[in-house]
Amino acid sequence: MPGETSPAVELSRVVKSYREGESERVVLREVDLTVAAGEIVVLLGRSGSGKSTLLNLVSGIDRPTSGTVRVEGVDVAALSETARTLLRRRRIGFIFQFYNLIPTLTVEENLRLPLELNGVDGADGRARALDLLAEVGLRDRAASFPDRLSGGEQQRVAVARALVHEPALVLADEPTGNLDAESARQVLALLAGLARREGKTVIAASHSDEVAALADRVLTLADGRLLERPPR
Amino acid sequence: MSAMLWRASLRHLAAHPWQLGLSILGIALGVAVVVAVDLANESARRAFTGFAESLTGRATHRIVGGPSGVPEDLYVRLRRSGVRSLAPVVERDVSAVDWPGRTFHLLGIDPFVEAPFRSFVTSETASAATPLAPLLTRPATALLARSTATQLGLRPGDTFAIRAGTHRRRLELVGVMTAADALRARTLESLLVTDVATAQEVTGGIGRLSHIDVIAPAGPAGHAWLERIRAQLPPAAEIVPASESARALSDLSRGFSVNLTALSLLALFVGIFLVYNTMSFSVVQRRPLIGALRALGVTRREIWLLIMTEALALGALATTVGLPAGILLGGGLLRLVTRTINDLYVVVAVHDLVLAPSTLLAGAVLGIGGTLIATLAPALEATRSTPRAALGRSTLESRARTLAPRLAMAGGVLLVTGVAVLAVDVRSLALSYGGLFTILLGAALLTPAVTVGVVRLVQPLAGAAFGLLGRMATRGVTASLSRTAVAMAALMIAVSASVGVGIMIDSFRSSVVRWLETSLQADVYVSAPSLVSSRADATLAPELVERLSAVPGVAAMGTQRTVRVQSKEGPVQLIVLSMASHAYRALALKEGDRATLWRRFGEGEVVLVSEPFAYHRRLTIGDRVSLRTDTGERNFPIGGIVYDYGSSAGIVLMGRQAYERSWTDRGISSLGIYAKDPREVDALIEALRRAAGPEDVFIRSNRALREASLEVFDRTFAVTGVLRLLAMVVAFVGVLSALMAQALERSREIGVLRAQGLTPLQVWGLTASQTGFMGLVAGLLALPVGSVLALVLIFVINRRSFGWTLQLEIAPAILLQAVLLAVGAALLAAVYPAWRMSAMALPAAVREE
Repeated sequence: MPGETSPAVELSRVVKSYREGESERVVLREVDLTVAAGEIVVLLGRSGSGKSTLLNLVSGIDRPTSGTVRVEGVDVAALSETARTLLRRRRIGFIFQFYNLIPTLTVEENLRLPLELNGVDGADGRARALDLLAEVGLRDRAASFPDRLSGGEQQRVAVARALVHEPALVLADEPTGNLDAESARQVLALLAGLARREGKTVIAASHSDEVAALADRVLTLADGRLLERPPR
Repeated sequence: MSAMLWRASLRHLAAHPWQLGLSILGIALGVAVVVAVDLANESARRAFTGFAESLTGRATHRIVGGPSGVPEDLYVRLRRSGVRSLAPVVERDVSAVDWPGRTFHLLGIDPFVEAPFRSFVTSETASAATPLAPLLTRPATALLARSTATQLGLRPGDTFAIRAGTHRRRLELVGVMTAADALRARTLESLLVTDVATAQEVTGGIGRLSHIDVIAPAGPAGHAWLERIRAQLPPAAEIVPASESARALSDLSRGFSVNLTALSLLALFVGIFLVYNTMSFSVVQRRPLIGALRALGVTRREIWLLIMTEALALGALATTVGLPAGILLGGGLLRLVTRTINDLYVVVAVHDLVLAPSTLLAGAVLGIGGTLIATLAPALEATRSTPRAALGRSTLESRARTLAPRLAMAGGVLLVTGVAVLAVDVRSLALSYGGLFTILLGAALLTPAVTVGVVRLVQPLAGAAFGLLGRMATRGVTASLSRTAVAMAALMIAVSASVGVGIMIDSFRSSVVRWLETSLQADVYVSAPSLVSSRADATLAPELVERLSAVPGVAAMGTQRTVRVQSKEGPVQLIVLSMASHAYRALALKEGDRATLWRRFGEGEVVLVSEPFAYHRRLTIGDRVSLRTDTGERNFPIGGIVYDYGSSAGIVLMGRQAYERSWTDRGISSLGIYAKDPREVDALIEALRRAAGPEDVFIRSNRALREASLEVFDRTFAVTGVLRLLAMVVAFVGVLSALMAQALERSREIGVLRAQGLTPLQVWGLTASQTGFMGLVAGLLALPVGSVLALVLIFVINRRSFGWTLQLEIAPAILLQAVLLAVGAALLAAVYPAWRMSAMALPAAVREE
C-alpha cells in the first residue's frame, strides 16, 4: 500500500504557470515539498504568491504545468478527472476562507454530506456529525441554516465538515482570513486539536503568524519559490 | 447519489419561489398552447372526417356527377339492370330560419334501401315510436336527432322553416332519432333527414341526386362488378372510392392546421428558450455552491445528474399544470378553429373537444423533453465549473465577454445555415420551419456580442445624460453579461415572434385588401345566401336574374357560377365567369399575356387558375387542367395564373361559353352589377331589392361586400392573433422571471450604494433604467429578427403551405409596438426587485457572506 510508507504529500519540481494574453505568469517555480503523515504545515505568503494554487494542485483541482504531485504516493496529475474527484471525496477535507457551507442544508446536514458521499448515511452518519458538532461547540445549532450563524461559527462548522469523513489530509485555505481575532483563535485551536488527536496531515495556507504558530513546519512562498522558515 | 444533494437542490428551488413559479408558468403555458392547438385541430379534424365517414357509412364507392349531381334516372336504370346495393342521396347544408346561426346537414334518402348503408335511419334509430313511413307518404316531413329536437323545443307534429340558397321550405317533424354511440350521436346532431323527394324540393334539384352510394363486393369480383357499373355510366358521371370525400375534406384544411401547429410550436420554442434562460441563471447563481461541492468530491456526473433531475422535476411539474390548462384553452380555440374552417371550407358543428391521448402524450414529451434539452447546455456548463469555490464573478463575466464573439460567430454560421435550408427548393414545411428556428437560434447567439457593442456606443451618452448612475446602468448590463444576455435573447426572440407574425398578418391583410380592390369592380353584388362564406354555391332563380337585369340604372351585368367538379386529383372548385369585357381587369393577373388572354378566356379557349392551384399541382401556362365534364373527361389549357386569396386549395376560372359547351348546368350563383351612374348606387340597391321582392338574396354594395370579406379574413386570423398573444404572454412570464432574478441578485451591490447614500428613488431609477435599457436593446434587436421571421413566414412558409404571394407590408406601428412591448415588459419586471431593494435592510444587504 502506498499510504503505509509514502509521505502524505510529495511535490517534486512542480511548475505552474498561467497564460495571460500574450505573456505567461509563472506562479510556482520548481517547487519541492514533502509532508509527512500527521504533520501540520503552514504556507505563508502574500496574496497572489501561489499558496492557493499549491493547495489546488495537491487536491487535484488543478494540474501542474510540469513536475509531479503525489498524495499518499499516488500521482494526482496522472489520475482522471473522476479519480481526482473521488480522491478528494475520500482522502481530503477542505476548509475555505469564506466557509462555503451549503446554504440550503442545515449545519448537521452540511456535516452529513461528505459522509453520505462516502456511503456513510443513516444513524451512523448522524451520530458522527452530531459528535463532531459537539466537539466544535455547536451541537445546539445542528438544525440551524448557515446564514443564521456568525462567521466564526460557520468556520467551526467548516472545520468539522473537513474532518467528519476522516480524511487523511486536510487542506485549509486562509481559514481565519475572514474572522475576528477571537474567532480565529477558536477555529485554529479546534483545527489543530482535532487534527493532532486524529493524526491528520494538515496543509494550511495563510498570511497570519497566528496560524503559523500551530505548525510543525512553516514554509514561505515568495516569487514562486518555497522557502522553509525556521521555527520561532 | 447523496440524498443530501437532492435536499440541497430542492431547498435551493424552494428558496427562490418566484423564479421557480415563473419558470413553471412559462413552460406550462408553452405546453398548454401546443396541446390546445393540437386538441382543437384534432377535434375539428375528427369531427369533420367522423361526420363524413358516418355519412358515408358502409358505402365503398359513390357515383358522382357534375355540378348538378347525377340524374335520378341513372339510379333507376342501374337498379333495373340488377344492381341492388345502391342508395340515392341528396345532401346539402341548410340553415334553420327560426334559429339564426344554426345549420343542418340535409340528408335525403330512400328509407327502403338505407339499411345496408347507414344504420342511423333504420330501425335502430327510428324505433316503432318513430315510423319511417310518414317520410315516404307525406311530403315535406323530416327527422331530427332527439337531442337536437329537444334543444330547439320541437316535438313530432311541429313545423319549422329551413333555407337552402334562395329556397325556403317549411318541414314537419315526424319523428326523432337516437344514436347507439357517441360518434354517431355527434353526426346525428347536425342531420336533418328527409326522403329523397323532399330533399330535392328543398334544394330545388328535382330529378337530381347529389350522388349514389354503392357497396361493392370485396376482392377481384368487386373490381369486375365496378367495371360493369362504370360501363353503364353517362360521360358526366364516375364512380370513386367513398373514402375520397372524407379525405378531401381533411386535405382541404391541412395547410391551415399545419400553420396553427407551427405557431404553437413557436410559443413552445419561446417557452423552451425561457427554460434555458431559467436553468442557465440557476446554474450561474449556484456557481460558488457547485464549486464548493466539486471541492468536497462531488463528481461532474453527479452535478450533471442533479441539474438534469431538477429540470426533469420542473418539466414534469410544468407539464402537469400545462396539460389541463391546454385542455381548457383548447375548448376556446376549438371555437375559433371551427369558425375559420366553417368560413373557409365546410359547415360542420363541432361541440366536443376530443382528448386525444396522442396529443396529451406529445404535450408531455414536449414539455419534459423540451425542458431537458434546454437544460443540457446549462448542465454541461455546471459540470465544467472548476472546483474552486471562490471563482470570482469577475473571471466568469470576463469569460462571458470573451465568449461573446465566438457565440456571435456560431450565430452567424447558424444564420447562414438557416438561410441555406430555406433556400433549398423543397416543399417540406418541416424543413422550412427547421430553417426558421435555426435562424432564430442564430439571432439569439448574436445577442451577447451585439449587447456589448451597443453598450459601448451608448455608455458615453448615458454618462453624459445621467452621470455616474447612467454609466452604471448601462455598464451593469455587460458587467453581468452571463445573466443578462440570455434574458435579453429570450425577450428578443419573443418580441421577434410577435413582430414576425404581426407583419405576416398585416401583409396578408393588405394583399387581400388590394386583391379585393382589384377584383371587386362592380358596383352592386347579388348572391344567394351561402353557409360557407368563401363559396357562393347556391343558385339564383333565372327569373330573378331577368328581373334584376331589367331594373333601370343597371348598365351591365356579369355573372358568376361557383361549382365543384371532379378531376383526377379530386374535387376542384370551378368559377364560371361571364363578364362585360371592361371588367376583365378585375382578374388580378399574375402571369399571362394580357394582349390576347381576355379574348381567349371570354371565348372559352383557355382557363385561368389561381396561384395556389398552380402551385399545389405544379402547373404553369400552357399546361392543361383535366376536368370531368358532362361530356366526359376534358382537358382545358391554362392561359394565365391569377392572384386569388379566396381559396387555399385553389380555383379554376372558366368563361361562361366554355362552361356551357361542356356542362348542362345553367345556374348562376352571383351577379356583379354595374350602375349607369356610380353616384346612385344606393338608389340602385333599393331598386334591385324592390325587384327581388321577398326572395332570399344578398344585395350588397361593393363596399359592403369588401367589408364582409375582410370580416371573414379577420375571423380567420383571430386564432393566429390569439396564438401571437399567447406567445407574448409566455415570453413576458419568462422575461419577468429572468430580469427579476437578475435584479434581485444585485441586492448586495445596491446595498452598498444605499449605504453610500443612494436614495430609494435613485434605486428605483437605477434598476428601472438598467432593465429598461435591456428591454430597449432586446426590442431594437427584435426589429430586424422579427422582419426576417416575417419574410420567411410570408415568402417561404405561406408559399409552401398555400402557394400565395403576399406583398410585404411593414407597418411602423408594429415595430413601435414591439419596442414599447419589450421596454414595458422589462420595466414591469423591474418593479418588484426595485421595490425590494429600495426597502431592504442595509446591514443584511452589505454582509459579506
